[in-house]
Amino acid sequence: MSEAMTSLWQPRGAWEGVARIGRSGADAGPAGVRLTLREGFGLATLIVAEGKEADLQTALADRFGPSLPEAGTAILKGETGLVWSAPGQWLAVAPSPRDLRDLPETLRGIASVTEQSDSRALVRISGPQARAMLAKGVAIDLHPRAFGPGRVAVTSIAHIGVQFWQRDAGPTYDLTVARSFAGSLWRWLEHAAAEFGYEVAASTKDLIAIG
Amino acid sequence: MTTLALQRAEAPASASFGDQPFRTATGGLIDRNRPRDFTFDGRRLTGCHGDTLASALLANGVRLVGRSFKYHRPRGILSAGSEEPNALVELRSGARREPNTRATMAELYEGLEATSQNRWPSLAVDVLSVNALLSPVFAAGFYYKTFMWPASLWEKLYEPMIRRAAGLGRAADAPDPDTYDHAHAHCDVLVIGGGPAGLSAALAAGRSGARVILVDEDFATGGRLLAERREIGGTSGAEWAARALAELESLPEVRILPRTTLFGVYDHGAYGAVERVSDHLAVPAAYAPRQRLWRIVARRAVLAAGAIERPHVFGGNDRPGVMLAGAVRTYLNRYGVLPGRRLAVFTSSDDGWRTAADILAAGGGLAAVIDTRTTVPPALRRMAEAAGARVVTGGYVAGTKGHLGLSAIQVVDGYNSTETIPCDGLAMANGWNPIVHLDSHLSRRPVWNEAIHAFVPGTLPSGMQAAGAAAGRFTLAECLETGARIGAEAATDCGFTASAAAAPQTDPETVDHTPLWRVPKPKGKAFVDFQNDVAASDVELAHREGFRAVELLKRYTTLGMATDQGKTSNLAGLSIMAELTGKDIPSVGTTVFRPPFTPVAIGAFAGHHRGKDFRATRHVPSHAWAEENGAVFVETGLWLRPAYFPRAGETDWLDTVVREVETVRARVGICDVSTLGKIDIQGRDALAFIERVCANPFATLAIGSARYAVLLREDGLIMDDGTIARMGETHYVMTASTANAARVMQHLEFCRQWLWPELDVQLASVSEQWAQYAVAGPRARDTLRRIIDPGFDLSNEAFPFLACTDVTVGGGIPARLFRISFSGELAYELAVPAAYGDAAWRAIMQAGLPYGITAYGSEALSVMRIEKGHAAGPEINGLTTARDIGLDGMLATNKDYIGRLMKERPALVDPNRPVLVGFRPVDPSARLRAGAHFLSLDAAPSLEADEGVMTSVAYSPILKSWIGIGLIRRGPERHGERVRAYDPVRGADTEVEICSPVFVDAKEEKPRV
Repeated sequence: MSEAMTSLWQPRGAWEGVARIGRSGADAGPAGVRLTLREGFGLATLIVAEGKEADLQTALADRFGPSLPEAGTAILKGETGLVWSAPGQWLAVAPSPRDLRDLPETLRGIASVTEQSDSRALVRISGPQARAMLAKGVAIDLHPRAFGPGRVAVTSIAHIGVQFWQRDAGPTYDLTVARSFAGSLWRWLEHAAAEFGYEVAASTKDLIAIG
Repeated sequence: MTTLALQRAEAPASASFGDQPFRTATGGLIDRNRPRDFTFDGRRLTGCHGDTLASALLANGVRLVGRSFKYHRPRGILSAGSEEPNALVELRSGARREPNTRATMAELYEGLEATSQNRWPSLAVDVLSVNALLSPVFAAGFYYKTFMWPASLWEKLYEPMIRRAAGLGRAADAPDPDTYDHAHAHCDVLVIGGGPAGLSAALAAGRSGARVILVDEDFATGGRLLAERREIGGTSGAEWAARALAELESLPEVRILPRTTLFGVYDHGAYGAVERVSDHLAVPAAYAPRQRLWRIVARRAVLAAGAIERPHVFGGNDRPGVMLAGAVRTYLNRYGVLPGRRLAVFTSSDDGWRTAADILAAGGGLAAVIDTRTTVPPALRRMAEAAGARVVTGGYVAGTKGHLGLSAIQVVDGYNSTETIPCDGLAMANGWNPIVHLDSHLSRRPVWNEAIHAFVPGTLPSGMQAAGAAAGRFTLAECLETGARIGAEAATDCGFTASAAAAPQTDPETVDHTPLWRVPKPKGKAFVDFQNDVAASDVELAHREGFRAVELLKRYTTLGMATDQGKTSNLAGLSIMAELTGKDIPSVGTTVFRPPFTPVAIGAFAGHHRGKDFRATRHVPSHAWAEENGAVFVETGLWLRPAYFPRAGETDWLDTVVREVETVRARVGICDVSTLGKIDIQGRDALAFIERVCANPFATLAIGSARYAVLLREDGLIMDDGTIARMGETHYVMTASTANAARVMQHLEFCRQWLWPELDVQLASVSEQWAQYAVAGPRARDTLRRIIDPGFDLSNEAFPFLACTDVTVGGGIPARLFRISFSGELAYELAVPAAYGDAAWRAIMQAGLPYGITAYGSEALSVMRIEKGHAAGPEINGLTTARDIGLDGMLATNKDYIGRLMKERPALVDPNRPVLVGFRPVDPSARLRAGAHFLSLDAAPSLEADEGVMTSVAYSPILKSWIGIGLIRRGPERHGERVRAYDPVRGADTEVEICSPVFVDAKEEKPRV
C-alpha cells in the first residue's frame, strides 16, 4: 500500500457533518445546555455466559470494581465504566477501543465480547438546563430523587432508541445513539436545546485510536 | 342571603377610560398604565395589559363578535372562560392565522389582530343570515333528509355547498412558522386547576416536600378568586391567591404551569396538557416554542378544575349581550369592564343576587332582577328596587329584542303577564355544573347529585380525588377546606407527612339554587347548544322522531358535538329530553366525554416531528461521499440509500443503472450494503442455536466459511434469508435483509430467551458497528489487493468463494472480509469499523480507479439480483415457502428447526402452488411490469384463471431486454411455455415466455474464479 493510500484512512466522527461547534439557540445569558461531542472512545458489549456471572464479576473486579452494576445502574470511574444494558448484559466503556482489546481473551468462556466502539454516537450533555432538555425527549423521571449519578436508562427519544447514563449530580449525562441515527437525533437535540441556548464543543480528548 | 351587601360603588363608572367607554374608572386586575392596541375586523381598539380579547372588546362596547355556525345569527360573548361557544375568532394573520380561537381565552397583546369568522361580506351584514329566516327548514336532521338524492350530487355539489355555508374559521394556508415542543414531567401530586381548591391542595401537598405540579388554563392564577369580591382571612380573595402563589413559587419541588390546559386523563396516572408558552405574544421570542405538549405522570391527582355555569334556555338567549352571570362578575371585578350600561339579571340561584350586587358595586345600572323562585328575602328586593331595578319573582325571561345586540327582554311574571324591560345586558344564573369531563375520560360516568342538581364525579380514575367546585362543593369555604384536605391526603399517600392547615375564615355566602331547565313559553328560538345552533325545538324534534337515547339525540341534533363538547349545553339537552320522556335526568344518562378537554392544535401533538423530522432517517456510512457525488437517494424504511449515481450526460435513470450494471459485470463496482442486519452469535451452543433457527444445515460449516441461510417462521413460511459466516470456534456472524433486520433480531432474542434458555448463546447486534461494502466484478480482487494490508493472500485458492476472515486494512484497522456474491460476479463484502466507513469507501474508489470502478446503488443491485434469479423482498413476502422460491433442495433433512413441520401442511406442498421462474417478453422490446398477473394465452381474465404474479422486473443490460421473475403454478415444469402478463391497472397485456430464473451465468462460474 502506498503512502497516499494510507493517508486516506482517517476516521470520520459520528457527529461530523451533523453537529456544528459553537453557540446556538437563545443567546441571552450563558448557555443552558452544553453538548460535548465525544469521539474515539471504546465500547464493547459484554454478555455473560450461561451461569458465569460470578466468574465475570471476579474477572472484572480489578478494572471496574467488586460488583457488576445492577439493572439500571452503571459503575463509572472517569472515562472508564461498566454500564448495564440488559439482563446479563453490560456495556464496557473506555477512553479508547485499545483499552478493551484484551477483553475477548480475558473473558473467554465467561462472557462474549462484541466490539461496539463505532456503533454509537456519544454526546455528553451538561449545563443548568440539561435535565429539562433531556426531559423533553425521555419519558422516564430524571428528578434527583428518581435518577441520579450512576443511573442508566435504555429508552427512546423521538422514536430513536438511546441509552444514557448520568455521570454526576451537575447533572451530566452521556447519551448514546446508534450511529446511523446520529443526524436525526441531533436534529432533536437542536430543537430541544434551542430555547435554553446551547454550546456545542468538541471533546477535549479528540484522538481516535487506529489499529 | 341577607348577608350579601348591596353596596353602591365607591367609584362610579366613568364615561370613558381613555377611549374604552365600558371600562370602569377603577378596579380590576388589569394594568391601566399599560394600554394594548389591537384590531378587530380591522378596527383599531385599545385594551389593557391583563385583558383577554373578550374583555377588551367589551371594554370598547363591542358586543357582536361572530356569526353562528348554521343560522349565521349574530353572536356575542357568553362566558369568560374556556367553555365559550360563541365568541370564536380568527386570531393573527398570514401563516399564523388561527381559526376558532375563543376570545375569552386569548390574552391581549400589543398588536393583536382578530377577525370575525363565518360571515360574508361583513359581521354586521351577513348574507347567509337568510338561513335564520329559513330555520324551520334547517332543523335537526335537515341535511340527512334533504341531500339524500341523487347520491351522485353529494360529493360534487351538496357537501362543498354545505361546507361553504357552515363551517367556522379558515385555517392558515401557509406552513406554520412556529415550533412546538414536547416535554415529560413527573410528580407526586398533580393539581388540576389554580382556583381556591387547587391552590389549597397545592399548598398542603407542597409544604410536605412532595413534588407538586399545578396546572391552570388561565394566565393569572386564582380561578374565581380573581372574579369575585370575596374575603379570605380578612384579605381579598385575589390577594390571598397572590400570596398562595408566592408561597408555592418559593417551594423548590413545586412547579406551576400557568396557561396550561390539562386536556386528557390516561391510564396509569398519565395526563396530557398543553402549555400556551407564547400564545400571549404576537410572535414567540427567538427560539421559544409557541406551545408545549406535556405528558405528566403523577402518583396522585387533585381534580380542582372548578365548574361551568349553566345558561337559561329561553327565546333569543343567544343575542349578543346575554351572558352567564359568573362571566358578568368576572368582567366587572377582574377586568373592570361593564358588560352593559343597564344590565338585567335572570336568576334561579343566589348567584343572581350576587351579580346584581356586583353590578351596582361597579357602578353599573341595574335594570331588573327576574328570579324564577317565588320567595326572595325582602332586604334584597328592597335594595335592588332602591337602585331603580324592576324585581320580578316567580317569573322568567321569555324572549329578547334587539337587532345585532340586546335592547330589551320580554319578561313573564308570576301571573303570566308579559312586560318588556329595556336593557343592554342580561346575566343568567342557573346554577353550576362541576367539570366532570376529565374524570370521565377513562370511560367513567358522572353521577347525579340531586342536592345540587348537577352531575358530580362518580368513581374517579385511580389516584384522583376531586376537590372544591369540581366535586360539587361550591362555597368558597368548602373549596378551601376540601382542597387542603385532599391535597394533604394525596401527599400522605405518596409517603410525605402532610396535614391540612385550618381553612381560613371566609365571608359568609349562600348557594341556594332551584334550576329552571327551560322556560315554559319561550318567545323565539331557545338555544341549547350555541356553537352548533341546536335549539330546544330540535331536541323536541329528535324526541318526536324517535331519537331519544342520549347518544342518538347527540348525533341527530349534533348537540354537544361542537369544539366546546357541549360544556354549556349538555345538561340542558338532557334535561329537556328527560322532561319529554317523563324520566329523571340520571335515567336519561350522559354522553361520553373524551380528550381533549378543549381543542389542541395538531402542531402541539406533532411537536418536533414535522417535515423531514416526521420520522428518523438513517444514513449509511458512505452517505457523505454519495451526497458529494450527486447520488439519487431512495427511502428504504428509515434508511436513505443511494439508488443510483448519475454521471454527466446521463439523462435518464435507466442510462445510469445500465452503466452501473455493465461496469460491475465487465470491471468492478462498489455498493454500500451496511443496511443489512448484522448479528454476532457467540457462546458454547452457538451452532446448536443456529441449527434450530435456520432451515438449512450448518453443522459442516468450517471456521472461515460462510453460507447462505434461510429462516422459517413457526408457520413454515420464509421469514428472511441472509448469510452466516463462522468467524471462530463459537463465533458466527449472521446477516439479515435490510427490511427484516430488526424483526430477525427480535425473533432470535425470543428464541434465546424464551424457547431455549438452556442454550449458552449470546446475541449482539453489530449492524451499526460495521460499515459493509460489496465490491463486485471481475476486477474486484485486483481492487481489494490495494486495500487489504500486505501479507494477506487474496488468491482464489487461498480465499475461495464463500470464504470469510478477519483482515486489516489501512495499516492495521481491523476489518472482516467475506467472499459472497449477490450480483453473480466475483465479489467480496468488506466490513470495516463504521468510523472508517467513509475512508474505506474513498480508498476503494481510488484503488479501483485503474480498473474503471463505479459506485452502484440499490437499483443496479436489484437489476443484478433479478438477472441472477435471487429472491428478495418481493418474493420473500410473508406468503411464500422455501419451495415456492426454489430453495427446497437446500433444506436440511436430518435436523429439527423452526417451521419444519408446518411447512409440510397440504396447502404449502400443493403441486399447483405458484413457484418462482423467470419470464422474458416474446417481443424483446416489450416492457414488463411487476404486479402483472399470469393468464394462459386464451383465458378471459378472472380470479379463477389467475396463475400467479410477476414479483420483480428489470431491464437487463446483458440481455438487452426486460426480464422478470415471478411465481406461477407449476412454474419449473413449464419452461418454454408462453403465458400473458396481464396488468389491467397500467393497461398492459404482454405475452411472455417462462424460463429459468437465472438469466446470467447459469453455471455459477463467475463468482468462483
